Amino acid sequence: MNVGQTKSQFVAVASITAELSAVMDVAKEISLAAANAKAIAFRAGDKAKGFQPITDFINELAKETIELVTAINEHALLLYQMTVNNHRTSNVYTQLKLVEAQSKNAAYSSSLDLSLQNSQNKMSECKRDYKLNITQLLDQLAEVMHPARAARVIAANSRIEASQAGEYLQSLQAVAESVDNAAQVIHDNVTRCRSSLSIVQLTD
Amino acid sequence: MKMTNIYEGSYQWIMFGRDKNKPDNIIDTNQYMVKTATRCLLIDPGGVELFAPMLAAVLHYVPVDQITDLFASHQDPDIISSLGLWDQALPEAKLHASELWEGFIKHFGCDSIEYVPIGDNGGSINLDGIELQIIPAHYMHSSANFNIYDPQAKILMSGDIGAALEAPGSPVFVDNFDLHVEKMRFFHQRWMPSNQAKRVWIDRVRKLDIDILAPQHGRMFQGDDVNRFLDWFESLQVGIAV
Repeated sequence: MNVGQTKSQFVAVASITAELSAVMDVAKEISLAAANAKAIAFRAGDKAKGFQPITDFINELAKETIELVTAINEHALLLYQMTVNNHRTSNVYTQLKLVEAQSKNAAYSSSLDLSLQNSQNKMSECKRDYKLNITQLLDQLAEVMHPARAARVIAANSRIEASQAGEYLQSLQAVAESVDNAAQVIHDNVTRCRSSLSIVQLTD
Repeated sequence: MKMTNIYEGSYQWIMFGRDKNKPDNIIDTNQYMVKTATRCLLIDPGGVELFAPMLAAVLHYVPVDQITDLFASHQDPDIISSLGLWDQALPEAKLHASELWEGFIKHFGCDSIEYVPIGDNGGSINLDGIELQIIPAHYMHSSANFNIYDPQAKILMSGDIGAALEAPGSPVFVDNFDLHVEKMRFFHQRWMPSNQAKRVWIDRVRKLDIDILAPQHGRMFQGDDVNRFLDWFESLQVGIAV
């Protein structure tokens, strides 16, 4: 692992938390849109009968997204700490190899062997854990895509239901629009997270 | 890395410094080692850039498992930024450093090494029966700062006190005190903040029997040059940047 790779790891892991923070904001917006839609649907009464269960569904999706993103965020922070450890253990190994090279004529050079061996083991262990955690994080990110996809389907249904709502048509269409946009933003941000992580996975 | 034996009795003091491969953009530092029968103390083991040459040099004297103790006179990076590497190389070792700096020094990485906090009044480190005294030198220059005094070898490791900014490869001992003064003046006036702290330190140190005063930068003082340094320092106004 060279300096450039380490740098890209730090940047990739840090950028994931930034992207996820945006996803969290959008999920909260969906939740707000659901509450708003519920109020409109309530006022519209029978004209928006088909819309009422959809609002609960939107709310559930937002809740699910928030929970998933919270868990992913915790995992991303752990991964960041692992990136630091990974960097440290690799650095220690590199430095001990330098000591080995520079102490060839020293009376006690062989006493370094155990430290070198331990350091190499620790570095391998760190790398193994790191790779495993990247795979787990990629899976978690894939999971967030599901509610985002479902939200887009719901947005399409919402538009149909909104068209029956008479004077409430515009308000409910706006809700459908906002859910659709939010789902798209989540999809795009999570895709970027996954692609950053995949690069780290390949470069390590 | 140049290695100079500065005390040879039933145990040894070795000074390490003047590393030819040191990058030009970092200040040159002196590291010290006290080696007893089964243990070894590294005093101000240095910055992260110095870890490999320093450990390689130490291996001329002791095996890795006998490097049992580290001491940091204060928190500066040229003193102890190598800690994260020592921490992995010597997981059983102890670091003796100010309790005030604990949360700061640990930023360099201290997962395995035991941090032994030194209270403001100082303390001691015992190596196979050799008692080294930890002498307070607060505000000289760091707010929590210590020297190491060995009453048997009569060596005072004085940290930044007595330091000089020198050309690479300079001798390890002062050979002409009058010429040496100008290499120390700015360092002391600018890095030492308090005349009061200076007077307290000088009073304390004058009571010690010192053959060698060993700073962390520049040259060591021996014999009469130790008192010459104390006299010169006593008359110097420090903390000049205000």
